[in-house]
Amino acid sequence: MGVLKRYTKPVDGTIPVPALLYDDESLLTSQESVGMYDGTQKSPKHQNGTVYTTTHRLFYVDHSHPHSRSFSLDLSSISRTDYYAGLFTSSPKITLYLHANNPSRTVDASSNDLQTWECEVCSYKNPPGLSPAASKLCGLCGVPRNTSQTNSGSPSPIPPKLTQHSSSQFLSTSLPSSATNLLSTPGSSTNPAQDAIIGANGEIPCPACTFLNHPSLPACEICGTALPRPKNVAGHPFARSAPSSRPVSPSPDEDEEDDDDDDTEATRLVRLSFRKGGDKSFYATLRRSLLGKGWESKVRSSSTPASQASGTGQGGLNSILRTVENTAANTQSNMEDALQDIESLAVKARDMVRMAEDLNEKLTVATATHTASNIIEPEEATFIRSSLSQLGLQMPNAPVTLDMMRDERRWHEELARELASVLQGNGSSWKQPGTNDEQGGGMMRKRGIIALDEVWGGWNRARGVALIPPSTFLSVLPHLPSYTSPPIHMRKFSTSGLSVLHTPPYARDVFADRMVTLLTLGPKTTVEVAHEEQLPVGLVQDMIAEAERFGDICRDEGGSGINIFGGRTESGEVRWWNNIFMDYEWDGQAS
Amino acid sequence: MSLSPHTTPSGFRLPSIHAAPPFFTQQPNPATQAVATEQWSRLILSYAKHRNLFTIKVEDAQTTGGDWDEILRNDRINRKLNTSYLAYILEQMERSCRLAFDPPKQSISAVLYWRTPEEWAEVLHEWATSTGQLNTILTFYEIIEPPVPSPLSGVPMSILRRAINLLIKSNRAQLIAVADGEGVRFLNGSTSK
Repeated sequence: MGVLKRYTKPVDGTIPVPALLYDDESLLTSQESVGMYDGTQKSPKHQNGTVYTTTHRLFYVDHSHPHSRSFSLDLSSISRTDYYAGLFTSSPKITLYLHANNPSRTVDASSNDLQTWECEVCSYKNPPGLSPAASKLCGLCGVPRNTSQTNSGSPSPIPPKLTQHSSSQFLSTSLPSSATNLLSTPGSSTNPAQDAIIGANGEIPCPACTFLNHPSLPACEICGTALPRPKNVAGHPFARSAPSSRPVSPSPDEDEEDDDDDDTEATRLVRLSFRKGGDKSFYATLRRSLLGKGWESKVRSSSTPASQASGTGQGGLNSILRTVENTAANTQSNMEDALQDIESLAVKARDMVRMAEDLNEKLTVATATHTASNIIEPEEATFIRSSLSQLGLQMPNAPVTLDMMRDERRWHEELARELASVLQGNGSSWKQPGTNDEQGGGMMRKRGIIALDEVWGGWNRARGVALIPPSTFLSVLPHLPSYTSPPIHMRKFSTSGLSVLHTPPYARDVFADRMVTLLTLGPKTTVEVAHEEQLPVGLVQDMIAEAERFGDICRDEGGSGINIFGGRTESGEVRWWNNIFMDYEWDGQAS
Repeated sequence: MSLSPHTTPSGFRLPSIHAAPPFFTQQPNPATQAVATEQWSRLILSYAKHRNLFTIKVEDAQTTGGDWDEILRNDRINRKLNTSYLAYILEQMERSCRLAFDPPKQSISAVLYWRTPEEWAEVLHEWATSTGQLNTILTFYEIIEPPVPSPLSGVPMSILRRAINLLIKSNRAQLIAVADGEGVRFLNGSTSK
């Protein structure tokens, strides 16, 4: 009968269901091969389709004619449900008993959810796409929307309380914008009342000043009053969700005028027949969704429905503040969820890595033992390995993380091993973005001494994930010499506080020896030594200062020269000498 | 870089280290600097003894043509001691009792002890004995500027006083007031004992 027709809204089933949802609606479950009963009778056009449950609605997408036979049913119109488990050839069924008055229709009438609308109180432009309940309130200040429309003098939507179900004629005349109960064919889907006030070229007379406006204008060109607008004239038969018109061609055998007569509790029902099972879980989800009352949640969160309905007094600053708080709380909970997800992912990552390791070993063994028989196809093995490496699970290069290791000491040792390969490039292919080391070798392959901050940055760049904090980095360094060859030690210059990693040739005493040998050829300035050592001047300065501190060399500041204009120009630059004072025996005048 | 001793026009043999530029720079390393200070004080004292110089002033490092030019600067390597380094050296020498600031409570000019006051006392007594002036009264002026040049010619009054005081303590001299100031009579130390 007409129950389906009255309570449902056609949707375009060729659009994927997630795209039909309101912004605050979410898809819960779906079930294929479901047939619909309109009342107690089978609905012949809806016998094979997929049913979707969301927080707000029930969707039926027909299998054979998704475009014309699909529809949605608001969960808010369901008063109670019943479950029938099925017997022999009879499929399991879910019966949905519907409310006597049809909230979905009135909501649909009052909401024009394809348009943005501006709140009259706070001028917030509310986006389209919210569920009817949510779009009745301003998203920012919570003031109900219909107050603004009544004030503007445009055809006002009837508040849900006043609207009674199936007063179709009343609806049609008072609400030209919602042609829900059209009797006419889709081609001329504007209702008669609408036709009467539309001009010859489809122009729309302004209800306030009677100016004939172009049909595409949303408001009167002269006085700005919102215009009544026939939907289909605007020329988009289906848009996001729930268009007001009904392009489903009316069947000749349907007679909507008679609907009210047999409108009893017994007939106000819809049945879902599950031809291929899935009924139990679907029913459970549906019940949860019904109990959750997702279509009301927005209303509840901003203010209680009673005060909400009673007037606009609850709007204003309090609502704004509450909305802001809610938004902050939502963001917070989302963030926490995300962080928890990341943590659980990190926990899972260990298992993944171990599994990849096992898999890799098995593959290696398999290919080694069955090279002749080729039990595992080489292509498959390669495929598995390449997918492992694409997942970042390639074992030799996987960054060491704390949860891979049992205790901290072993962790530090593993990190030291990893750092050693970063520094010296031992046998692995650590890539270093940002360095032009064409061989992909370690950071210290060509440099004997390197500042600590650069090492830290380079290491973390090579790791990419699970970055090492400086404290851990420092505790790893003492383990480094045992994993590096030649051993790399850390050294801190007392003069500047600079810390470096260095190979043996740059140890303090070795450098001092080299410096002494160099200086036997004659005094050198810092810059000359830096040139000799192929090192930055600042670094050499620190190393020389260290050598001086240990008395290996001495300085000649030369600044107090007598003959400034004499042949050799000696700037104030310090020249370094071997320590001439050490072991000096007096060879002057004997006293 | 072979350094060798050098003999100045005045006949003083400079140590080889005097030809090394770092010798004229104050060294930040305390151990190195200790050696340098030691060599400098030895150089200053031996040069003072060679030239019979008793006083040194911080500004001697700046002025040219003074008595100390030969050691405080080295024209061959274009180096000279700057005043702050000399002041530092003098301070260190004062600590090791190799000079005394004179007048006291400043650190600009000093009297060098290339002989200690005890040594000066011996020198003084020996001079009196060898010139046959025991038991005769001598004024300080007669000791400092004797008609015949002596080891004591030009000795600063402060050193002379300390030497005489030491002799008085060991009963080898007596301080006697004379008409135009003070006089001293040297006694034969061995007999008085």
